[in-house]
Amino acid sequence: MDNAQHYFDQLMFGVAPYLALIIFFLGTIQRYRSQAFSYSSLSSQFLENQRHFWGMVPLHYGILVVLLGHVIAFMFPRQLLAWNGHPVRLYILEISALIFGLLTLFGLVSTLVRRLSFNKIRTVTSPADIVLHLLLLVQVGSGVYVAVSHSWGSSWFAASASPYLWSIITLDPDITYVLAMPFAVKLHIVNAYLVIGFFPFTRLVHILVIPNPYLWRKPQVVRWNREPQARG
Amino acid sequence: MERSRDIRITRCRRRVVISSRVLGGPVWLVVSVLAVVGVFPLSAQGQETAAYYKQNCASCHTIGGGRLVGPDLKDVSKRQDRDWLVRFMLNPQAMIDRGDPYAKQILAEARGVVMPPVAGLSRDRAKLLLDLIEAESALEKSQFEGVKFSDRPFTTADVQLGRDLFRGTAKLKNGGPPCISCHTVRGLTLLGGGRLGVDLTKVSERIGGRKPLSAWLVSPATVTMQPVFRAHPLDAEEILPLVAYFEDAAKQVGDDDSVAPLAFFLMGLGGMVLVLGLFDVLWKNRFRAVRRPLVAGGEMRTSV
Repeated sequence: MDNAQHYFDQLMFGVAPYLALIIFFLGTIQRYRSQAFSYSSLSSQFLENQRHFWGMVPLHYGILVVLLGHVIAFMFPRQLLAWNGHPVRLYILEISALIFGLLTLFGLVSTLVRRLSFNKIRTVTSPADIVLHLLLLVQVGSGVYVAVSHSWGSSWFAASASPYLWSIITLDPDITYVLAMPFAVKLHIVNAYLVIGFFPFTRLVHILVIPNPYLWRKPQVVRWNREPQARG
Repeated sequence: MERSRDIRITRCRRRVVISSRVLGGPVWLVVSVLAVVGVFPLSAQGQETAAYYKQNCASCHTIGGGRLVGPDLKDVSKRQDRDWLVRFMLNPQAMIDRGDPYAKQILAEARGVVMPPVAGLSRDRAKLLLDLIEAESALEKSQFEGVKFSDRPFTTADVQLGRDLFRGTAKLKNGGPPCISCHTVRGLTLLGGGRLGVDLTKVSERIGGRKPLSAWLVSPATVTMQPVFRAHPLDAEEILPLVAYFEDAAKQVGDDDSVAPLAFFLMGLGGMVLVLGLFDVLWKNRFRAVRRPLVAGGEMRTSV
């Protein structure tokens, strides 16, 4: 039993990240080579745009800030711990991060409800969309739960998760950093590998082709000109 | 003859194409798995037994230096047979749950503190550890007799420094993360400390007092703390103020901060509602300024 647990842990935290990264890189390259025009978010905004706002805006602003926080904690753990050296600064960071985590969760739930409530949108929903939605719900839900129940994540991420992730990147995986983490933390980590591995087969690929020039190009207005319908 | 050869080549090519199509996905997956497993063998890190003992056992056990959190291990294999000891070392909780009388006795002597699982401990390593303990027990003075700590009375300055070290306002000399990252104690601050690890308000009482707690802090042996503090151990001069702070915290009376997670969550929720309101205000013309007038204008023109 102990051996089985040992190999399971090795598989989840020592092997899965590499599998996920290999699938991510090979899958995204292969998809771009064979179906470059499928690199899209497949937006359904034309089908419904009222509820769309309350899903997409909180989801995207939330996830961008939360992901940036993860990257900063990964890249600059010592600086982050130095910032958290005063409890007030720690609390400000944690509350801000929780706000954006909850915005992400709110946006994600809104998009799921919208997707299931409108016939037009249900029609253009693929099984991959449903799987992706569930994976993201688990990811964001576990993240918010961990933030509240196993505080203070920004500090212990820098102390434990960051060296673990660096050990993965430097091809010398040291899973002892995460072995005794609570279940929700382990779920968050393993589910992240699932999302990364599943990434090339979903509409998440739009992250790789963000139309950055939209930020500085001149605004464009699309005009609708309908031909008069033939009468009688 | 020439034609039949061409047909054979075409069939052969087709078979290759079909097999690569059918197997293309799974094959590279399997190759990837094999590559990963081959590059990163699943073996434990090769540590010498003495170094392993120092890292994993010495914070709770001496050999001939008296009891810390756990019992003095001098001549332990004379008190219990080796098979039993190996089984206990591999899974102490299971032996207690099974109602083993000697395991329960150990638990009672440790004031209810269950020996935590030891990182990377295998059956073979447990046997090597017992060999080491037997050899060290035969010596007049073992290298694992334990560290000697100052027993001078704690001062207010010690408690204050310990509190600063705990909160992170005073940096740990070797770069370790402050205790507040994962632990809380009663009366800390508004939202309390971290909740990844246990509440440390009564840690001194739980572990058995000043000496065992000091020894434990030399090399924290829980599976979560060990990898972090292996690279950034606490300095000897930091242990005394931390213990002073823990002993002082245990005397504090008042409400605990069990509502802190709820308060934290409600602050996040309130902030989220405010940001959603901000989005609504920032994009208040989102459906009215451009698209709707254009659509309405288009519809008017078409109806003329």
